[in-house]
Parts: sequence; C-alpha cells; structure tokens
Amino acid sequence: MFKDFFLLAAQSIMHRRMRSWLTVIGVFIGITAVVALISIGLGLERTITDQVASVFGVDTFIIMNEDTFGPQAHGPGGAEEYTLDLATLRAVEGVKVAAAVRERTGFVQGPPRSDGTPLQGFFPVSGLSPELITEFESFIGELEVQRGGRLFDVGEEAVTVLGSEIAERFQASVGDTILVAGEGSAELSLIVVGILMPAEEDEESRGGFAAGMNQSQNQDTIYVPYETMDLLWGPAKDVLITVVRVNPGEDVDEVADRAEETLNARGSEISAVTYTDISEVIGTMTSTISAFLAGIAGISLLVGGVGVMNTMFTSVLERTKEIGVMKAVGAKNGHVLTIFLIESGLMGLVGGIVGTLLGLGLSAVASSFIGRFFGVEMAVVASPTLIIITLLGSFFLGAFAGLWPARRAAKLPVVDALRYE
Amino acid sequence: MPVLDLKGITKEYKLGKTVVRALRGLDLGVEEGEVIAIMGPSGSGKSTLMHIVGALDTPTGGTAFLDGQDLQQLKERQLVALRGKKVGFVFQTFNLIQTLSAQRNVELPMIFQGIRKGERARRARELLTKVGLADRVKHKPNELSGGERQRVAMARALANDPEIILADEPTGNLDTESGTPVLELLKRLSVEDGKTVIIVTHDPDAAAIADRIVRLRDGAVCEEVDCV
Repeated sequence: MFKDFFLLAAQSIMHRRMRSWLTVIGVFIGITAVVALISIGLGLERTITDQVASVFGVDTFIIMNEDTFGPQAHGPGGAEEYTLDLATLRAVEGVKVAAAVRERTGFVQGPPRSDGTPLQGFFPVSGLSPELITEFESFIGELEVQRGGRLFDVGEEAVTVLGSEIAERFQASVGDTILVAGEGSAELSLIVVGILMPAEEDEESRGGFAAGMNQSQNQDTIYVPYETMDLLWGPAKDVLITVVRVNPGEDVDEVADRAEETLNARGSEISAVTYTDISEVIGTMTSTISAFLAGIAGISLLVGGVGVMNTMFTSVLERTKEIGVMKAVGAKNGHVLTIFLIESGLMGLVGGIVGTLLGLGLSAVASSFIGRFFGVEMAVVASPTLIIITLLGSFFLGAFAGLWPARRAAKLPVVDALRYE
Repeated sequence: MPVLDLKGITKEYKLGKTVVRALRGLDLGVEEGEVIAIMGPSGSGKSTLMHIVGALDTPTGGTAFLDGQDLQQLKERQLVALRGKKVGFVFQTFNLIQTLSAQRNVELPMIFQGIRKGERARRARELLTKVGLADRVKHKPNELSGGERQRVAMARALANDPEIILADEPTGNLDTESGTPVLELLKRLSVEDGKTVIIVTHDPDAAAIADRIVRLRDGAVCEEVDCV
C-alpha cells in the first residue's frame, strides 16, 4: 500500500514538474552549502591531522609545559619553560628515546676578530639533545650545516654549532673556540664544529613541525649539546620541549600518561601530548568552525523548508477536490496524510540528493583551490555518515514542512472538498 | 429488509448566523436492486440526501439505516469503511484524478482497501471491459471523451463491488448520445447484478430508467411515482 501511495505522490510531483523543480532548487541550494562547508571542514581536519601524523608518527609524544598544552592552557602563545629530569624520563617504562630542547640567554665571547678583539655579549644559547638530530629529523626539519662543518654527536660536550648570522658577527669559522659563561663561575670553552646554512626564501616548504630551527630568527642562536647546558646552568628548569619515542609495540598514550605522572610527581608541571591529543584539539577546532559555518548555511535550509511548505499548501488547495474524491472512494484521513507527507518528503529527498552531489563537487573544487593557495595537498572527504544524515535529514525536512499542509488536507470535510471548485 | 431506510431525517447547516434546514423530516425506503430517480428543484435537498446516503455526512435528526447499519451510531472510521465498501459514487463532473490512467483511477478505491496489485489490476481491467473501455485502459482522463470519462467513473464506483451506486446528475455534463450508454449501464447494474441504483437528476431520460421516481420539495418527499 505504501508503494501505491509513493506512486501517487510521485505522479503528483511529476504532474506539476516546473513548480516541483523550483521547490527542489530551494532545498538543494541550502543542502549544497551545508554539505560543501562540512566536507571542506572535514577535509581540512584530515589534512592537518595527516600532517601532524607525518611529523609525529604513532610512536612519539611531546612534553610541554601544562600551561602551554593542558587542561588549564591559557591559549596560544610561545612555549612556556619547564623543569625536566631527562634521566628520569628516559627511565620510564616504555620510553625508547627522549630528546629535549632548553634555552638560556648567556654571556658569550667569540674568537678574536680580524682586528684582534673578540665580540662579547648576551646571546641565546640553545641546548639540543643530539638524539633530536639523529632520531627526530621529522620534528626539527632537516638541519643543514655549511661545508666543512658537522652537527654534534651523542656524548660530545665541549662543542657548538652556530647560527649563520651569529657566526658572521663573531667572524667565527669551524675550528674556532668560543667562551660561554653559565651560572656562578661556570664557564666553558666550546669548539665550533659547524655553522648552519643561512635561511632560504622557501624555508616554510621544508616542513619541520616543532622547532623550525632553520628559520632566520634562529640563525643568531648558539647551539650546544643538551648535557653541556647542565654543566653551564645546572639541572634543567628551562626546557621548552621534549620529544619522546616509545618502544615498538608500546601504547603511546599509556607511556605518555606514565611519563607525565612520574615527572609531575617529581615536581615538574608538564603535559605529555600525543598525536591523539593534538588530533582531538584540531578536531574540536575545525569542527567548531565548520559547525558554525554550516549553521549559517542552515538558514538557507530553513528557507528551502518554507518553500516546500508553500508549494504543499498550494498543492493541497489545488487538489481539494481530488482529496474529496479520494475520501469519497474510501480513503482514510491517514491515507491522505501519508500521500501528502510522502510527496513533500520526496521533494526534500530529491533536493537532498542533488544538493549532496553538488556539495561534494563544490568541496572538491574548493579543496583544490585552498590546497593550491597554501601549497598542500588537501584531502577530499566524502563522509558516508554525512551523506546518509543529509539524505535522511532532507527527507524529514520536506516531510516536516509538509506536515501542516498535509494535516489540513487530511482533515478536509469530504462534502466541502467535493463541492470545491 | 430495505437496503436503505430513512425515517424523519433532518439536516441543518449553519451558514454564518442563519440556520439552513436542508432536510425537514424526510422518509425514504429503497429495496435492494431498485433503481430510484430523485428529482426536484435546486435547493430541495437532493445533494444533502445524497451525502447522507453515501455516508459522507451524518443527519442532524431522524434514523438512517444503510444496509442494516445505523449511520447515527457509526464513528468516522466506520463511516469511511462503509463508503469504501458499500457505496460507489458517480459524480456529475466525473471527478477522475487527472494524473492517473483510466486503470489506475479504477484501482484507486481498491488501493485504499489494501487490495493486492495483481488482483487490483485484473479487476480494474475487467470493470473497464464491462463499461466498454477495454481499449482505453492506459488513457489519461484528458484523452477521453466526456461519455468515456463517466464510464471510467462508473467502473471506479464498482471497484469494491458495492451494494449501492449513487449517481449525482450522471448525465448532467453529457449530451444525449454519450449519456445514453451511461444510463443503460446503470440500468444493467440493477437488472443483471442486483445493485441498488440511486440517481439524482433533472434529466427526464435518466428518470425514465428508474423503477420509481421520488420528488423532493423543501427538504421532504412530496411525491413518489412507481414507473411500470
């Protein structure tokens, strides 16, 4: 019986083809906008998380100050420093490698310049675990040193790598010695083993998630092994970021929790951030934005719904006599209601199908534009859930908009309906 | 027992502030298989009587039995069932659904009774053959002549094999040539199938096929004539 009602409804739609199409257009414009915006949002989210994943890998987490990335994080801003006991961290069960970055401003004296006097002054000194260079290349980006130089190795202490700008100011070259003064009377002579390549124009394209060491603002930094910082300034209270890789087969979230607990029990105030955490934050952010945009686009859906309602009222009015006839030949009120609801739902559904297709197409086009603009490969997402929800939603939008007109049709008194001209 | 038994039927409408008394104590009995012509000037209550007999409307007062059932006592749901199964309507303006083919129009009453597709189609074709439109099954109403449309409407009225056929001015929109087959068909339904046929009409030709002519005036029966 339902199939017959469906056919009756479809025949009525086909009968006034022009008006039906106009109504459907009203629906699919809204659907197109909503589907496109949500799809673009999903694509953006996928793209960003893919990027994060390519840097992070599934076996790595980072440690940051809990104010930078934690439940009480006070928004974006530079990374806050924190206290870290690297040895404790390395001893946490499941940790394979841990590497950290700490930074100070220290008094530095360069080698004698051409006029015989050395340059002295306060400069940023950054301590890098050598593992950062050997194990986490994807993290810091490719560090390139100028010809004749090298980066430091695990176990080295009295060595340094200079940023290109500072090397120029010191007039230092590989093999020279610089003097760095730490806390109290601590003082070390460090041999320059390498000088970084100057920043290039297309620096951004090299990727490098966390540090962006090659960027120009870091070319005036003096890099030393992490352990050397201990000798100069004592135990680390000034760590910016720590990167940890877990043993194969370990659950990264579990190890991260364990590390966080252990370190915080020892007085650090840190958050261990895994790929999952970051993805969640990104997911929340992008879905909030796309939900907001889709909500605005949803207003046009409302307009589409009113269009369906209007058309259905006209249809009921036009077919008053037909409704009378159907009732005279034995149609129940429920039958009439069902036929009209199917009719309006069907218009919604057709609008939904067209709108979904157009929306997905639009999002693919938009994604390729956005991707070209930012120089990344944008993921195009056709979420089955989104499609199913949209199609069901558009059917119910139509049916809901038709509810009032359909009820009016169903309740028409037979005698009046038959007499209607 | 008469198939239709009306006693002291009154029907009042409110039209704004005035009360229209459309029927004022009407008595009428119709036996099974009879052909009745109901005549009378406009405003005499013919249409109202049709609506009550067809279970489209309920009387204000009096008793009305249709096929042994007291119309006053029936709920809306039962009235719907009654007009779906016991009564077949033929209207002056045919009232076919324009978007449906002749066959689908005839199937419509059966759809609402939940009859299966195959059975429906078979019966619809059978009825269209009976009214002489076997070759018009797939035609839409606007592809048919007036007389053909009215015959489709008659096939539709017969769809659920009702006991009573109610024809409201069945030849009102037809010329004599196309009206005659319609009237012949109505007569045949009574003679061959034992259906009760009630025709509301101004047309003397239509009245001529009746077994009995009932004249109405001012909402009551003023004259009954048996035709032999």
